[in-house]
Amino acid sequence: MAEEMDLAQIETFYDVMRSQGITRRSFMKYCALTASALGLGPALVPKIAHAMETKPRTPVIWVHGLECTCCSESFIRSAHPLAKDVVLSMISLDYDDTLMAAAGHAAEAAMMDTIERYKGNYILAVEGNPPLNEDGMFCISGGKPFVEKLKMAAKDAKAVISWGACASYGCVQAAKPNPTQATPVHKVITDKPIIKVPGCPPIAEVMTGVITYMLTFDRLPELDRQGRPAMFYGQRIHDKCYRRPHFDAGQFVEKWDDDNARKGYCLYKMGCKGPTTYNACSTIRWNEGLSFPIQSGHGCIGCSEDGFWDHGTFYDRVTDLTQFGVERNADQIGMAAAGVVGGAVAVHAAVSALKSAQHKAQKSSTSQNEEA
Amino acid sequence: MTKRSLIVGPFNRVEGDLEIRLEIADGHVAAAYANAPLFRGFEMMMLGKDPMDALTITPRICGICSISQSAAAARALGQIAGQGQTSQGALASAILHGVENMCDHLTHFNLFFCADFARPAYHGRSWHDRAQARFTAMEGSAIRACVEARAEILHIVGLLGGKWPHTLAIQPGGVTRAPSARDRIRMASTLSAFRRYLETTLFGAPVEAFAELSSAQALRDWSRGDAGLFMEIAADLDLSAMGPGPGRYLSFGAYPLADSRAFAPGIWQGGASAPVNSAAIREDLSHAWMHGAAAHPAQGATHPDEDMKAPAYSWCKAPRLNGQSYETGALARQIIDGHPAALDLAQQGASVFARVAGRLLEVARTQILLESWVAALKPEERFIQEIQLPKTGSGEGLVEAARGALGHWISLREGKISAYQIIAPTTWNFSPRDESGCPGPVEAALVGAPVGAGEDTPLTVQHIVRSFDPCMVCTVH
Repeated sequence: MAEEMDLAQIETFYDVMRSQGITRRSFMKYCALTASALGLGPALVPKIAHAMETKPRTPVIWVHGLECTCCSESFIRSAHPLAKDVVLSMISLDYDDTLMAAAGHAAEAAMMDTIERYKGNYILAVEGNPPLNEDGMFCISGGKPFVEKLKMAAKDAKAVISWGACASYGCVQAAKPNPTQATPVHKVITDKPIIKVPGCPPIAEVMTGVITYMLTFDRLPELDRQGRPAMFYGQRIHDKCYRRPHFDAGQFVEKWDDDNARKGYCLYKMGCKGPTTYNACSTIRWNEGLSFPIQSGHGCIGCSEDGFWDHGTFYDRVTDLTQFGVERNADQIGMAAAGVVGGAVAVHAAVSALKSAQHKAQKSSTSQNEEA
Repeated sequence: MTKRSLIVGPFNRVEGDLEIRLEIADGHVAAAYANAPLFRGFEMMMLGKDPMDALTITPRICGICSISQSAAAARALGQIAGQGQTSQGALASAILHGVENMCDHLTHFNLFFCADFARPAYHGRSWHDRAQARFTAMEGSAIRACVEARAEILHIVGLLGGKWPHTLAIQPGGVTRAPSARDRIRMASTLSAFRRYLETTLFGAPVEAFAELSSAQALRDWSRGDAGLFMEIAADLDLSAMGPGPGRYLSFGAYPLADSRAFAPGIWQGGASAPVNSAAIREDLSHAWMHGAAAHPAQGATHPDEDMKAPAYSWCKAPRLNGQSYETGALARQIIDGHPAALDLAQQGASVFARVAGRLLEVARTQILLESWVAALKPEERFIQEIQLPKTGSGEGLVEAARGALGHWISLREGKISAYQIIAPTTWNFSPRDESGCPGPVEAALVGAPVGAGEDTPLTVQHIVRSFDPCMVCTVH
């Protein structure tokens, strides 16, 4: 496709950035940032720069189904102002319901135009999902059920990004009884590569990281068995949680207003789902690396896991950890630590042994994931 | 007499989906029908769930008003328990909520509303070049500045609430994080940076100078910053004569603190204010695709009519207070709180101009409030108390979201949620007709708007609809 075009007419990422007033220095800084965000070494910075200077810009169509727009809200607040600026200008969001200028028929025409012009070359980013009940009548966009718009836009897309828990898994609107039969994107679009970026919403830097990777390297990042980018969803929140030492030491918050809450102890007993949730919240964090829910004293609700909305109450502790024996021991140890200070050292040792067993079990299941 | 019918939508640059059917006679809107085409059924999903799950699920109704939803749910649960937030917890909740409302107002002004002034249709107007440079969608310099300033002020939510959107920190008894003295200093410095943004970009003057404007004329005469650019455009396009409201305003009162609400609750009509009697609310279903009879939200239910039978035309129910429609939002809040310039605007009649000006007034006042709240934080005090929910009971949580009055009505039976009803601000403003055929506020506001012969997305209609800052995902939920 590219070879057939007149070279002078190819608009590269770099061209777009320059036309947005971004300096060469900022551009190089951006390439370095991207490399580090994606966990790539400094040696890859020139490669990223070269790719951006020579590759034609990949257009992105961003559509909204049944959703709350929290993904867009997260996206436009990505950490580095430069990264946000560059990514926004780079993808130009050729079509985006929430941010674009056009309205009405002009907006629909803009989308058709992008599809026609970039047939087979654009990325379709989907926020929200199609409700299938009653022929899709619960979400009407431009006079037609959203599911039709989704299928039409996906037909000529190179790849599809499922933003957030809605597009990836269904999210809260799919909660029992799922009144509208909200259905994740991959159950409707079955003939395109789909990358799931779950979370409610996903972390801004994860979103910009994923999209930058795809635009820069022109391929999907490595995915785990569930179709999530492994670089961001490879570890449990619990693994890198700054409160983890308190878990290991058997120091738990027992009530919202106890002293342990103020001391920042582990929230496991308050229902924290960190031990079963794969996401980057405890490493990348939120609002420009500032914090994440556990840091605000509230447990993780597991919003990047399939079905998090129907897994029983959010304030009950995780119960499917029993294979590691943690459930029982957290109880005993919590009480022991609170009551008998002298016994704490011995108890701690016992937990550490458990912890390494747990680590092993976890490792083997992770490596299975990677193989699969 | 020429007649035609026109469907305007999708609107874009609104939160969620919206479609409006217009009947046009002789170049003017004769009747308007607002359709909220997105239904998810949150009220149905809540049934049978653990009461505390409301704090996690209902915020996900909306990605831009999630703190409002969680504040309403927390308040309703607190009422059921007969306990509320500690005074410092209420203060921290108000800070979280105030930051979100502030962000929503700025997003509306810069990204959703003013972008229409950059349209080519206004080419040749004396202000068009400047409007294009500032407000062109996704590119304008004001838009970039706003997105950046918003990300900065949301650090406060990050510090107190861990993440935004869908912050989890607000609980019936307070907030889950007691801010440290260091956090307080950080929040204060974030607020002073934000003040700088407001004073250099939006107002071009100290926020106090704008907050203290005492008449509608003083607002119109404001010439500095982007606010001044808006005043100039508003005068040229006569936005004061565009999009009248029902003249009835409702506010549940914003930011419940230990002693009172920072912006007073009440209703206002024809120069007289009165207390809100939430018992007199009914949701009328005559023109909504819903089964059942009109009911108070505590007795209401949600049974969608999947056949979508006429004469209904929207998923939105029609809330009425004392049998009448009410306009709600920043303008209503400022009128009911007795701000002199807002009262003056109300006396002249609501309009596109009045709604946007009311929002700008509130931005200035909220900045001042936020600063005083952060200064009043006492890190050593209690920010949360444990509450005991009874197995059975019912309660209402009334708060003010950026777009107006928001209520959650919850009933519990045997420790589970047995009924859950929500009325969001845009449910009031974008409600369909009621049994007596009375239109909702935006439907009424559109009547009389001029529509050019060739126009299929009439600009006047765009301005009127967007002046309400619709949040369609909240509307039907």
